[in-house]
Amino acid sequence: MKYKIVHTTQYIYYEPISLCHNMARLVPRSTPAQTCTKSTVAIYPEPDVLNEFDDFFGNKVTYFAIQHEHKSLTVTVSSEIERTPIDLKQSIDTYGKVSWEDARMQLYQQRLEYIDARQYVPETEATKFESGITNYALKSFTPGRPIYQAVYDLMERIYKEFQFKPGFTTVATPIAEVMLLRKGVCQDFAHVGIACLRSVGLPARYVSGYIETLPPPGVEKLVGVDASHAWFSAFIPNIGWVDFDPTNNVIPAEQHITIGWGRDYFDITPLKGVILSSSPHRLSVSVDVRRMEKTADNLTT
Amino acid sequence: MIATRQASLFQNYFSSNYSYNELLSEDGNLRTYWQTFFQSFAMLGIEELQDRRQAIHRFLKENGVTYNIYGDPLGLNRPWNLDVIPFLVGKQEWTTIEAGLIQRAELFNLILKDIYGPQQLIKKGLLPIELVYNHPGFLRQCSGIQLVGTHHLVLYSADIARSPDGKIWVLNDRTQAPSGSGYALENRMAMARILPEFFEGLKVKQLAPYFTDLRDALTEMMPQQNQPRIVILTPGPRNETYFEHSYLSSYLGYTLVQGDDLMVKDNYVWLKTVGGLERVDVILRRVDDNYCDPLELKEDSQLGVAGLLQAVRSGNVRIANPLGSGILENPGIMPFLPAIAKYYFNKPLILPNIASWWCGQPAELKYVLENISTLIIKKIYRDSNISTSVDGSLLSAKKIQELKEQIKTHPYLYVGQEKVAFSSTPSFSDKKVEPCNALFRSFLVSNRDSYTVMKGGLTRTANDSGNMVISNQLGGLSKDTWIINTDTEPEFTQQQSLKSAFGTMTQSQSLSQLQSQQLPVAIMPTYKSSLPSHTAENLFWVGRYAERFLGNARFQRTVMQSITEGNHLQSDNRHTEECMLMALTHYTFTYPGFIGESGKTKLGNPWKELSEMMFDTSKNGGLTYNFGLFSRSVNAVRDHWSADTWRVLRSMEELWVDAATTHLTHFKMVAMLDELITSMVAFIGLNRESISREQGWSLLNTGRKIEAGLLLVNMMRATLVNKHEEQVAYNLQEAVLRSNDSLVNYRYKYKVHLQLPLVLDLMLLDPNNPRSLIYQVVRIKNYLESMPNPQNVAMPEHIRLTTELYEQLKNADKDYLTTLDNTMATYENLDNFLADMYSYLVSIPNAISKTYFKHTQPQRQLFTAG
Repeated sequence: MKYKIVHTTQYIYYEPISLCHNMARLVPRSTPAQTCTKSTVAIYPEPDVLNEFDDFFGNKVTYFAIQHEHKSLTVTVSSEIERTPIDLKQSIDTYGKVSWEDARMQLYQQRLEYIDARQYVPETEATKFESGITNYALKSFTPGRPIYQAVYDLMERIYKEFQFKPGFTTVATPIAEVMLLRKGVCQDFAHVGIACLRSVGLPARYVSGYIETLPPPGVEKLVGVDASHAWFSAFIPNIGWVDFDPTNNVIPAEQHITIGWGRDYFDITPLKGVILSSSPHRLSVSVDVRRMEKTADNLTT
Repeated sequence: MIATRQASLFQNYFSSNYSYNELLSEDGNLRTYWQTFFQSFAMLGIEELQDRRQAIHRFLKENGVTYNIYGDPLGLNRPWNLDVIPFLVGKQEWTTIEAGLIQRAELFNLILKDIYGPQQLIKKGLLPIELVYNHPGFLRQCSGIQLVGTHHLVLYSADIARSPDGKIWVLNDRTQAPSGSGYALENRMAMARILPEFFEGLKVKQLAPYFTDLRDALTEMMPQQNQPRIVILTPGPRNETYFEHSYLSSYLGYTLVQGDDLMVKDNYVWLKTVGGLERVDVILRRVDDNYCDPLELKEDSQLGVAGLLQAVRSGNVRIANPLGSGILENPGIMPFLPAIAKYYFNKPLILPNIASWWCGQPAELKYVLENISTLIIKKIYRDSNISTSVDGSLLSAKKIQELKEQIKTHPYLYVGQEKVAFSSTPSFSDKKVEPCNALFRSFLVSNRDSYTVMKGGLTRTANDSGNMVISNQLGGLSKDTWIINTDTEPEFTQQQSLKSAFGTMTQSQSLSQLQSQQLPVAIMPTYKSSLPSHTAENLFWVGRYAERFLGNARFQRTVMQSITEGNHLQSDNRHTEECMLMALTHYTFTYPGFIGESGKTKLGNPWKELSEMMFDTSKNGGLTYNFGLFSRSVNAVRDHWSADTWRVLRSMEELWVDAATTHLTHFKMVAMLDELITSMVAFIGLNRESISREQGWSLLNTGRKIEAGLLLVNMMRATLVNKHEEQVAYNLQEAVLRSNDSLVNYRYKYKVHLQLPLVLDLMLLDPNNPRSLIYQVVRIKNYLESMPNPQNVAMPEHIRLTTELYEQLKNADKDYLTTLDNTMATYENLDNFLADMYSYLVSIPNAISKTYFKHTQPQRQLFTAG
C-alpha cells in the first residue's frame, strides 16, 4: 500500500520572536515493513540553519533555527510511504509460545540483538512502575503464559479498561494519574503498555507514527482530519519487535505508518523548540494520511 | 629543646589508636621530611603558630576565598578554612600515585570514547549495558559525535586516601567538571605568603606546570584556530565553588560566562558582549552536562545554551570535558575496571579500587543484600538533592529493610562498597597537633601524549577524627598538599633540565621568587576582550547600589545629626525633625516608616525606626538590605576587584557583624555611618585602578551617575517641593546641601543666606558642581557615547533620552521653577519638572538594558501535543 502523508504544525506567537531553535522528528524512517520513498520538510519562514542527522535510535532528525524576527512558524512535512506489512503469523506460532519468563531469561544471552533490546527494559520518567503498574501487568503475565498471548491480552485489557478521551491529559500528565483515572489518549495508552512490560522485566519501546482513518461508506474523506498516533512494541526473542496498538486493539499492519521510536514519547517528540520570549503562543496541527491508489474495498477500523 | 617543644605539641598524638601513621616510615622512625617539617614548625612556637593560623584565615578572607553552602543559614560566601600543617607525600609514594592516576585517566578516556562510539566493551561483555544505559550521565544525544584528539577526556580528577596499612585507594572519580584546582592554588599561595618558614629544607614541587598544561590543552582543542577564544562556563554566583570559577578565570585569563551570556547562531557559539557577538571556540565548563542545552538535554535548564549540541556536532565548538563524560562518575564501573585495564593495556590496575559489588548481577546482589550492614551502599550516580552514599552499619533495622527493598526494585542502580578506614595525618587546631582523617583530590589534564598530574592537590580533612565522610558541603578543613622531592639527583631528563631548574623549591629561594614561580603572572589573552552581557549588567548595578548605599547613608546621617544637634541649637526643632524623618522614608522607600498613621507614633521617638533602617535585614530599602544587594552584585563580578578593594569590602562586612552584636548609642550609630561612608567612597575610588576594561568602567559609572541623579531628584521631591514656614524650609534646604556635601560650595559661590532658587541653581543646574543633576547627566551622556553601538543605529534610544534630558536641564530656569501660586501648598512647576527628570532617569536604564544586557531575554519551551 502507498500513502502520502502531509503533517503541518503551526505556531502563532503573540509577539515577534528573534531567535528560535527547533528539533523535528517528523521524517519517517524506513524499516523492513515500510519504505519512505520521499519526504520533504517545508518551513516558513525560511530557516537560517537546517541540519539533518540520525539520532541514537536511528530516527531522522531535522534541526533548524530561525535567526530573524518572525511572528509565526509553520512546518509541513510531506512524505510518501510504501507500506509492506510482514506477516508474523508463522513465526509467532513457532516462537511466540515460549513463556514470558523464559523469553526474559533469553535476553541475557550475549547476543547483540538481545543486548540492544535490553536498553528498553529500564523504566523512564514517563513509564515509572508506580500506582499498581506491576500488579496490573501481572494479571496478563500469569506464570508460564506464552509471551505473545500475554502481551496481546495486555493490549486488549488496556483497550477495554481505559477510556479514550482527548484533551484530558497532556504530554506532561504522569502515568500514575492515567492509571488512576483510566482515561487518556494514544500516547498515554502506549506508556501504560510499555511500563507494564518493563515492570515484569521485558523490553518495550514507544512508536510514533500515523494511522489511516476512513470515513463511513459513501462519505468523502476530509483533509487534515487524521492525527499523529502512537503505540508500543514488544521484543520477542527470535521474532524481534512486534507492534501492538492498545488504542485500537489491533496488531498494526497496513494502516499504521511508523515515524520512529524511542524509550518513550520524549525520545521521539515530533517537534520541540526553544524561543526567546516570555509571551504565550498558539499551536495548531493537521495531519492528512491518504492512499495514493484506490483499492477494491475500504476497510474500516 | 626542639624535642621538648615537639613533645608538648604532640601531646597524645601517638597514643591515639591508629595502626598506620603517616609520620612514620616502615622502621618506626619519623620520616625525614616530616622531621624537617616539624623542626621548622616547632621553631615557630605555639603562640606564633596560633598567630599565623589567624593570619591565614585573614588572608583567605581578604582574598575573598569562599565556598557556598546550599541552604546554609549563614548564607553565601562561607570562608574557606586552611590548616597550617600541609599534607606531605614522599617522592617514592608519589611516583606510584602519579603512575596509577595517569593509567586511570587513560583508561577512563578509552572507556568514554568507546561508550559514545563503537561500544565494544558492551558488546564483549566487559561492561554491562544496564550499568551504562541506566546512568543519567549517559547522554544518548552525544552518541556518535566526532571529537578530535587522543584524549576526549581532557580533565580527570580522583579522590584518593590511604588505608591504615598504607595502601592508596581511589574512592571517587570526577570526570565532568572537577572542582578544587583553584582552591589548591590559593592554598599554596596562602602557605607561601604566611608560612614561608615551613618550606625551608624541603623541596616542594610546584603547581604551576599543571596550569600551563591546562592552558595548552584547551588551546589545542581547536587546532584550526590560531588563538581560540576560550571561556569558562559557570552556573553563576550561587554555585558552591563560584569563587574558584572566578579565580581560574582571572588566573588563566579566560572570560567567565553564564549560559545566557552565550547563544548559538549559524551552528557556532557566540558570546553576547556589550560590543556585539564574539565567537567562542572552546568552553571550559563548570555546568553539569545535563544542564548544558535546554533544546536537547534537560528542558527546563536555565544554565545552558539552546542549540549547543548542534554547534558541538558541527565541530564548531569544543567543550572540556565533553558533554556526556558524566557517565564515568559511576562507582558501578569500579569492579569492571581490572578486566577493562587488562583488555586495553594487558596490565593490572596500579592503584587498586575499593572492593565493590554492582547489584545489577545476581551473585553480587545476593552478596550485598546479605552483608548490607557492613558495607557502604552507593547509587551509581550522584544526586545533588539527596545523599547517595550510606554506611550500612549506621542504619536501623527498619532502614536496612527499606534500603534492601529499594535495591531489589532497581538493583542496577546500586553498588556495595567495602568500608575502608583512613590513615591519620597531623592537623593543628586549638594549640595542639591532632590526628585527623584526610582525603586527597588530585587533578590531571591531557598533555596530548599522556596526562599531566598536578604535583599537589586539595586535601580535605574530617572535623572529628572518627568521621569517614569528608565534604566541603558538610564543613571541614582543607590542607595544602606538598609533594616532597627527597632525591638529591635532578629528577628530570636532560631535555627537561630547564624545567627542572624551576621544578622544585629549596630554602635558598626567597619568598618572592617562590611566589613568582608558584603563580606565573596570568598571561593575558590577546584576543579582543570585551565585556560579556552578564558582567556588564552586574557592573552597572554595582555602581547603582554603591551610590544608593552612599546616598541613603549620607541622608540618614544628616537626619540623625540634625535630630541630636538641632535639639540643642534651636529652641523648637520639632517640625523640622518631623519633615526630615518623613523625607527620609520617602527617600529610602522604607515605607510605611514615618509616614501615615503608624508613622505618627514613630515620629515621637524615631530611634527605633532609625536603628531598624540601619540593621534590620528584612527591611526593604534599609541600609543592611541595600548592602546585601550591593554585596551580591560585587560578588557576581568578583574577578574585577583588587586585593585592596577586597580589604575595604571585608572591613565593611565586619562593621555590620560587630554592630549586630553590640548595642550602639546614637552617637555610635552616626560614627558607624561615618565609617561606612568612608569605606564606600574608598571602594568607588579604588575601582578606578582595578577595573581595567574601559567598557566596564563606563557602565559602572553610568550606573552610579543614574542612581545619583535619581537620589537627588527624590530628595528634592521629599524636601523642597512642599511649602514650609521659613525656619523649616531653611533647615530642609540646609539638609539637602549638607547631605550632598555642597554646603561649603553654596557659601563660597553665593555668599548669601540659603534661598530656594539658588539651592536649585547649585544642585540642579550648575555644571561645575560635581553634585548637581546636570553634572551627573553630562557624565552619563559622555560614558554612554563612549560605549559601542552594536545595533549600528544612528541614535540609540539611551543616547536620545539622555540628550533630551540634558537639553531640558540646560534650558531650565530657576526662577520659573520657584514661581509660587499663593493658593498652592507646593511649588508646582518644580514638582512637575522633577517628575519629568525622574521619568527620564528611569527610562534610560531600560534602554541601556535592551542594548547591552542581551542575556536578560527570557527563554521558553515550545512543544507539541502528542
